[in-house]
Amino acid sequence: MECRKDIVSLIHKYFDEEITETENKQLKQHLNECNHCRNHFNELKKSIAFVQSSSHIVAPPNFTDLVMKQLPQPKRSNNWKR
Amino acid sequence: METLVKRIIIDVKKGDQEAFAELVELYKDKVYQISYRMVGNVHEAQDIAQEAFLRAYMNIDTYDLDRKFSTWLFRIVTNLSIDRLRKKKPDFYLDQEVDGTEGLTLASQIAATDELPEDQVITYELQDWIQGEILNLPPKYRSAIILKYIEDLSLKEISEILDLPIATVKTRIHRGREALRKRLSNV
Repeated sequence: MECRKDIVSLIHKYFDEEITETENKQLKQHLNECNHCRNHFNELKKSIAFVQSSSHIVAPPNFTDLVMKQLPQPKRSNNWKR
Repeated sequence: METLVKRIIIDVKKGDQEAFAELVELYKDKVYQISYRMVGNVHEAQDIAQEAFLRAYMNIDTYDLDRKFSTWLFRIVTNLSIDRLRKKKPDFYLDQEVDGTEGLTLASQIAATDELPEDQVITYELQDWIQGEILNLPPKYRSAIILKYIEDLSLKEISEILDLPIATVKTRIHRGREALRKRLSNV
């Protein structure tokens, strides 16, 4: 199909949230008519949702203490200021 | 947030080491999240995240207060993660399955305490699967996808972290999305 390349670039513009209103209409209209592009669009949407459903990860306990222990001794200049 | 961070950094620059602990507290989870998602192994991720903070501390004099601190810090941790992946490249792909199973260790660190045990198992399996798919991405797409969809950063911030033009970041995100799609559509 001739439109493929144009449409793929519109699809990516859509997901980058950079699509204009006119382009969005053009895309939606095409997706209504074209199974292939609609599948592509839906699969991308699912892939994004899949990655976004990853859990929020927290640093291990004691992380801050471990980092602080690795720091070099405070500069001497700091001592005479006090 | 940025004002608070600036005040803390001014103290650190003056030599107040205790102030640095506050910075670590503020950013440790995000920094660890980036390293874990990049390398997929809890021990290495912790090592990289600690190293990132150590480097930030050692180089705090070069940090420009007019810029966003998180961008500078995320750049350090992303670079360290990429360096680590480069070093272990020969065995990395062979190790992937092992890496995937290590998500079980990670599971204990994921905040999901209010769920029933059976739900937790499903969550852990799903989370292992997601992490496995992220690790399947080539590292240059992986970093872009992590910063965009897990850290939820703007293209501009990602371009500063990765030190790449926005157009290149976009291309990497597009290719990363397509690579994920191709694998997931076969499921």
